[in-house]
This record gives sequence, C-alpha cells and structure tokens, in this order.
Amino acid sequence: MRYLLQRVAILLITGWAALTINFLIPRLMPGNPVETMIAKFQGRISTTAIHALELQFGLHSHQGWWLQYLDYWRNILTGHLGVSVTYYPQSVGSVLAQSVPWTVGLVGLSTVIAFLAGTLIGIRSAWRRGRLGADLSVPVALFLNSTPYFWFALILLYAFAFLLSWFPLSGGAASSGSPQGLAYLGSLAYHGTLPLLTLVITSLGGWLLTMRNNMLSTVSEDYVAFAQARGLPEGQVMYRYAARNAILPSFTAFAMAIGFVISGTLLTEIVFSYPGVGFILYQAVTSLDYPLMQAIFLFISLAVLAANFIADLVYILVDPRAREGR
Amino acid sequence: MKAALRSRWAQAGLVILAIFVLVAALAPVIAPYSPTNSSFSPLASPSLRHLLGTTQLGQDIFSQLVWGTRGTLEIGFLTGLFATALGVLVGIGGGYLGGPTDSVLNALTNVFLVIPGLPLIIITAAYITTKSQLPIILIISFTGWAWGARVLRSQTLSLRQREFILAARLVGESPLRIVVSEVLPNMLSLIAANFIGAAIYGILSAAGLQFIGLGNVNAVTWGTMLFWAQSQGALLSGAWLWILAPGAAIALVGTALGMLNFGIDELTNPRLRAGVKKLPKPVPAGTPEVGALLSLQEIEAGYQTAAGPLTAVRGVSLAVKPGEFLGIAGESGCGKSTLAFAALGLLRPPGAVYRGSSYLAGVDLLALTPAQRRPYLWRDASFVFQASMNALNPVIRVRDHVLDTARAHGLPPAEAIERATALLQQFEIPAHFLDAYSFQLSGGMKQRVVLALSLLLRPKLILMDEPTTALDVVVQRLIMQQIEWILGELGVSIVFITHDFSLLVEISDRIAIMYAGTVVEQGPAAEIYAHPLHPYTQGLIRSFPPMSGERQVLHGIPGHPPGLGEKLSGCPFFARCSARLEGVCDQAVPALLAQGDQHTVACHLYGQPPPVAAPTAVGEAR
Repeated sequence: MRYLLQRVAILLITGWAALTINFLIPRLMPGNPVETMIAKFQGRISTTAIHALELQFGLHSHQGWWLQYLDYWRNILTGHLGVSVTYYPQSVGSVLAQSVPWTVGLVGLSTVIAFLAGTLIGIRSAWRRGRLGADLSVPVALFLNSTPYFWFALILLYAFAFLLSWFPLSGGAASSGSPQGLAYLGSLAYHGTLPLLTLVITSLGGWLLTMRNNMLSTVSEDYVAFAQARGLPEGQVMYRYAARNAILPSFTAFAMAIGFVISGTLLTEIVFSYPGVGFILYQAVTSLDYPLMQAIFLFISLAVLAANFIADLVYILVDPRAREGR
Repeated sequence: MKAALRSRWAQAGLVILAIFVLVAALAPVIAPYSPTNSSFSPLASPSLRHLLGTTQLGQDIFSQLVWGTRGTLEIGFLTGLFATALGVLVGIGGGYLGGPTDSVLNALTNVFLVIPGLPLIIITAAYITTKSQLPIILIISFTGWAWGARVLRSQTLSLRQREFILAARLVGESPLRIVVSEVLPNMLSLIAANFIGAAIYGILSAAGLQFIGLGNVNAVTWGTMLFWAQSQGALLSGAWLWILAPGAAIALVGTALGMLNFGIDELTNPRLRAGVKKLPKPVPAGTPEVGALLSLQEIEAGYQTAAGPLTAVRGVSLAVKPGEFLGIAGESGCGKSTLAFAALGLLRPPGAVYRGSSYLAGVDLLALTPAQRRPYLWRDASFVFQASMNALNPVIRVRDHVLDTARAHGLPPAEAIERATALLQQFEIPAHFLDAYSFQLSGGMKQRVVLALSLLLRPKLILMDEPTTALDVVVQRLIMQQIEWILGELGVSIVFITHDFSLLVEISDRIAIMYAGTVVEQGPAAEIYAHPLHPYTQGLIRSFPPMSGERQVLHGIPGHPPGLGEKLSGCPFFARCSARLEGVCDQAVPALLAQGDQHTVACHLYGQPPPVAAPTAVGEAR
C-alpha cells in the first residue's frame, strides 16, 4: 500500500510538471509563434482564430502569467485544447482522437512483443554465456539499439513494400470498407506489419541488454546455487529462480524505455505514413501548427505516465516485497 | 580506465570509433569533392568517380558521408559533454549536499526521466527559428541528462559514507574541494559511461530531428543526408545507397560507443565479465574407500582467472562413513568451501574441478553430466550453505521451495508438505511460516528453514558449510542442538565445515584440519584435541578458548597462508611454522602418513625424510 501511494504521488508530481513544461515552452521560446503562423498561412486564418491563438499563447495579453496558467489548466480540464490550424476548422481534440488509437495499438503491441522477445533472449544469452551464439547476441543487440528507427523503417519499406510489394507503401488500413469484420482486421495486419516489425526489432536490443546484465548479476546469487544444489531441473532454475528475480529491475527501466519507444513510433509512423500521432505531429511541425503540437506533447506525456503507472502496478504483482510495503 | 580498455568489447569499440574520428579529422583530405558541390550529374550510379553515387541535386554522396562524420560526431561529443555536465551537477551536487536541495533535484530528475525526450525536443525545436546547430544540441542535452544524474546520485550517496570522505569532512575541507578532489576521481568510469550514453542519445535524437526537417538542414550531417534523401525520393529513384550509408554509419558509431560502455560496465561490475570456457570433466582418480558413504579422492579444484588457473584445493582425499560426523576446520581461504562445492559437482564458473573423484555411495558424481547428477543431489546428499541468509528465492514462498524440491525428485506434494510441516515443528517454526517469503523470516529462522529443507528427502548425507557463522551466539547454540538431533535421531552423516575449531570438538566423530588447500591432519576428534601433531593444529587449538577449565593465554598464528596461485615446493605451512626444519620442510611436500591407528598427519616432523630434529621440538615450541 505504501509503495502504491508513493507511486501515485510521483505520478501526480510528474504529471503536473509535464503539463507545466507544456505551458512554459511557447512562452519561454524566443519569437512570436502566432506571427510565424500567420506568415506561414498568408491570411488563410480567420481573425477569430488568430485571436484564439493569441489567447492560448498569452500574446498581447495583459493578464499575468499566473492567470494565464489558471486558464491553461481550466482549458485542459474541460478538454478545450484549441483549434488546429492544419486541419482547420477541426478542434485539436478531435484530430488527436482520430490518431490516438493507431499509435496506442502500435506502441502497445510492439512494446509487449519486444519486451517478451528481448527479455527471453537476454535470459538465455546470459545463461549460456561463454558460447559463441550467446555472446554474439551482445554486439547484435548493441547494433539494433543504436539503429535509428526511421532509417530501419526506410530499409524495410524499400525492401518489402517497394521492391517486393509484399506490404503497402503507406497508410493504416484500406480506405474502403467499414472498420469491422475479418477483412478489416486483415487489412490492419497488412498495413501494420512493417511498422510493427520496425519497432520490435529496433527496441528489442535494449531489453535484451538490460535483461542479460540483470541476469548475470542474479546468476551468482546464493538462491540460484541453492536451487541447483537441490537438483532442480535446469529450466526451473533458469526461469523461476534466476530470471524471475532478474526481471524486476526491468520494470523500473520501463520509464526510460517507453519514452524511447514512443519517440521511435513517431518517426516510424512518419516513414510509413501511418495515421497515428507521429504522423500528425509531423504535419503539425511542417506547418507550424503550434496548438496541435502542444496537444500532442500533452497526450504523449500523459500516455507515458500512464504506461509507467501500469508498469508500477505490475511490479507490485511480481515482487512480494513491494506488495508488503518494504 | 585502463582496465576497462582491456575488455575485448572496449577494444573493438575503440578501434571502430578511432576510424570514424580519423575520417572526421581528415575529411578535407579523404573526401574527393566538397559536400555542397552540386555540379555533377544527378542520381549517378556508384562508380570510381562517385563511390556511392550522387544525389538528386548532383552532390557526391561519399563526400557528404565523409564530411557528415565530422558534423555528426560534433553533435555527439557536445551533447555528451553538456548532458554529462548537467548530470554531474545535479546528481553529484544533490547527492553530496543532501537535505532539501537533494529532494528538489531528485524530484526534478525523476520528472525528466519520465517526460518523453523526442517529443519534447521536437516541439521545442519547432519554436526555434534560428538556423544553427547549437540550440538543437542544447535542447537534446537538456532532455538527456536525467538518467546519468540518477546513477551518479546513488553512487555519490554511497561514496559519501566512505571513510576517506568522512575524514576529509572532519578535517574541515570545503564541500567543493571534497567533491572535486575526492568524489569526482572515484566516479570517473561512471561519468565516462554517462558521457558515452549521452553521446549515443545525442546522435540518434539529432538524426531523428533532422530527418523531419528540424534544426539546420543545410548543415552536412548523416541526419540531414537522410532528410534530403527522403524528401527527394531517394528510394523511389533507386538511390538506396544514399539512404543506406548514413544510417548504417549512425548505427555503427552507436554500436562502437555501446561496446566501449559495455567494457566500462564490465569493469564496474565484475559479474558481467566474459565467462570462461567450459572445462572438460575432471580426470577421475582412485577408487571409493571401502565402507565409506562419501569418498573424495585426490580432489584438485580452483578458479580460472584471466591470469591463469588458481588452485584452492590441492589434492584432498577424505571419507565419511554412514552416520558419521566429520568436522573440517581451517581458516578462511583454506579451500574448505571450495571443497564442499566441488564434492557435489556444484562449483560454478569460474570455479572448476581439475582432477579427482567424488564417490557418493559408489557413484562418481564428478564423472556425470549435470543432468545425470541432478537425481542424486538432495536425495542422497543435501547441502546447507554458508550464507543461508540468501539461500531462499525472495519472490516465492517457503512452501514453493518445498514443492519445487519434492517435484524434482518425485515426492508427492501432499507428503512433502506433511514432512515439511513436521520438520519445521521440530525446528520450532510454526507451520504457517510455510506461506512466508524469506524477507518475513529472521536470520535464524531462515537457517532452520534451510535445515528443514535439507532433510525433506531424507538424505544419507548433509554437507554443512559454516551453517552458524552469521548468527548470534544464542541462535548458534539452538542450531547446534538441532544438528545434534539430526545426527542422533536420523542417523544422517554430516560433514560440518567451519573456521571455529572449538565448535567441532564435542560433536565430531572425526576432524580433518585443512590448510592452504590440503588436509594436514586427520583423526578422531578426542585424539586431535588431546594430542594434536601438526604444528598448525596445535596453533589452531591454542587460539581458541577451551569449553571448560581455567583461563589461559590465547595465541594466534602469525603470518598468512600461501596464495591460491602459488606453486608449493615444500610444506605449505613452512613460512609460519615454529618447528620448521630448514632444508627439509621447504624442500618436499609432506605426505599424509598414519600416526597410530586412525590418526594421520602431513608433517616432516613425523617420519619420512630422515628426521633432523626429534618430535620433541614441538613440545619445546609449546
């Protein structure tokens, strides 16, 4: 219980900090975002929209920062995130709502697969250390770990979509047909395979290395030797005694990892024109759609916080010491 | 630092990195053309003139790659520098100062650890209109320092408690001076690892940023090359090298840096060091002693290190009869624990048995594969560890330990629980502790749980390696009573290993004295205590108070035993022996010879090379 409360406190503090950073960035940066936007859109923005933007970014406003900050919070809590300039007159909220499911699906699925696969290979690589196959996993993992996501996406796109035509060049699903039924699921898989593969392969290395290191430390623990002395089967010693303990620090490494995966997803979506948050972030960046950018950052921060919180809950489930408040 | 470079990983990484740095430094010499020279025919295929072909704008891709090395490494270096500086400032500063400063800085670190880096960089960069590299580098550093700060803080917290820091504070040195001259030098490898990690992060983040057109896209880096390649449809026009080369270069530099970090990791955490090669099975020796339950024959075991194999056990033969209590005594480092692990084939790399046989009821355990050996382990011989404090898996219950053990040896679960409950009761642990985790047990309880587990399968033999060492005297006595019960009621053979000779005298049938990996004396407990022959045994007995009797002056044995790697040309005790015979004891290793009925001793004072001095020399030494 104490552990849980502590986690909730950290969640709230970090959430507040992320939202405050989101508020501060446009106000601290040099230049005038609204003027830049007006210049970019050459009069295609209505005066009411300009006025709304000025309010949102605290320009020509005689309000103190304090009051602007309160307004900012009121807007967030009531879901008023502003109007998108790129997708005018759609609200930022509705643009975001359309793209979020794509990204959540991609990040969620790829994180689960990469975590399981990387962890499993890491366990075996540590257990069979000293053999060529096991030791070779290290440089391979290091290479994957420093492979730019978007570059790997480009390579896959070129090989499997452009040259071989096994997969489509862009998009998230076939545009025709209703979003239901087996055919739609098939189309989702058809479009999602390459982005998913990109994310899984490039993020697997990190999990592998983390798990391998943890495992090597755990293997020399007394409880592993004691399990061996009791004549337990090798698989049981490896998984139930060594790996079961070695995996615990991986949950605390989750905070870092999920941030990287989301960053990777943004760029991967851009390469595959996958209709998720990364793709609209790219649109927002290229057209200087500041309200949309801010909303996306807001969403990503909260999503990462939520993912971390889930990781903390899982940690409570797998470590009795955390459960008992130690 | 030098040690880190000895790692194979670090060396490989360093070589790759050196090549890239050289390319960056010599860019004007290596690159055949200017990276911005667009006077060539566009999209030319690779040729001798253009090794990687040309871009859509007619620039030489190879020249861009070479010049891009410079721009990219610059970003990596500067990001590494700035992010590390921030991490050092926040992590070490907070960790050293402590108090509210630390609380605030630590909270800040946690926030930055969770806030996703790239999105923050992207939206911040999008507000920046100046076309220069520096703001991007600063922003990336600003999002990438938190992990380093966390690691450095926890290291600082532990360093702060160390004697030399405390001493410096007592002397009244200023905090800044202590941090600069005492703390920082002790964290160099961590700081270096941090720098490398931040450099990788910087290169990858900058590449991602430039790829979507943020930052200065006119600078020549691998990231901007990818931006132009993508925006000008390199793949669609078949110029795949234009994409492949810069990305592969990024991944390669990242790998090299990662390898360097891996080497540093191995330095700070010895457990990560590369495993040693598996040894062949030990050469069998001797035949099992008649009538013995466990018969060790000429066991030679030790540890393989980078400097060569070390020998901890130098040819030990011992036997345990059914129902017998054999005590093995010797000071720490004499090889008694290694011997115990070796006897059951449980030595783990880098430990290894080089030679010898361990016959358990006639079966040589050391000649079996691990899978063949498993059925015998615990069923015939169980093993109570020196550090039973950590012998229980922290994430499963006592009950699971019981059931796992039972399942591995075909004991029905219901019967196993029944037996375990009875055993726990015998050891005065209430049955509900079956559902406890190890962190819910006290040290003495853990040791008794392990004792109960060791009896679960009713083995014929239990090896006990210092089972009472970490416990306080009262608990120690309790455990000894329970061990006596095991011996008396169950008729199990026990091998009891300890540095505490006095513990053995009353309970043992026989005692073996180990010194520097050899058995120097062996015999019935009463006889060894009353008439110790070996000068080392005599010294051992003199250094412990007797259980009863008058107070007397205690003596230690001056000097140290020989190191594990040392080759012995004479008696291992020669240097410390008060009765040594120059020219005899340093010339030949004494053999273990019978002195009387069951008493054996390895000492030149008792026979073998013609005795120069009479055994009375020992009496005088007393």
